[in-house]
Amino acid sequence: MKFRLITLFATLALSFAAFALDLQSAKDQGLVGEQTNGYLAALKSTADVTALVNDVNAKRTAAYQQIAQKNGISADDVAKLAAKKIIAKAEKGHMVQDSSGSWVKK
Amino acid sequence: MKTLPKVLGLLLAGYLVSACTPTVKIEPPDKPIVINLNVKIEHEIRIKVDKALDDLLTDTALF
Repeated sequence: MKFRLITLFATLALSFAAFALDLQSAKDQGLVGEQTNGYLAALKSTADVTALVNDVNAKRTAAYQQIAQKNGISADDVAKLAAKKIIAKAEKGHMVQDSSGSWVKK
Repeated sequence: MKTLPKVLGLLLAGYLVSACTPTVKIEPPDKPIVINLNVKIEHEIRIKVDKALDDLLTDTALF
């Protein structure tokens, strides 16, 4: 029984190490925020946060471009529409940019 | 002498008929008729994009 518990904790520790920083916990910790342009911004410039932000934003760009292409509009317009939805959907305590560009806690 | 009342009768009938004939005038509008379809198309695109974004936003790895 004891051995099993140790194995469980070891696996948990290992899995945490594998996912350096995931988006949801970064949001919870206020490390990242949602901008009005539809992209994520790093609010703390550590390597972990920067890597996460770059990764997420690259994937978002691809997704926005796909939608834009399908509908014959620009990716920027898609991103702006997305921003409205993302900010509206953001959970309480997460950081979002307001219309004037300053950071507010939702 | 019998023809006079006949003529009068005909005239009267003519007046009556012409007075009862409805006149429908169709006048073409002075301005050309413009139907703007852009609005509808833009609206459809917006709805499509809206839906696509809603689907996209369920991806918790990205949003």
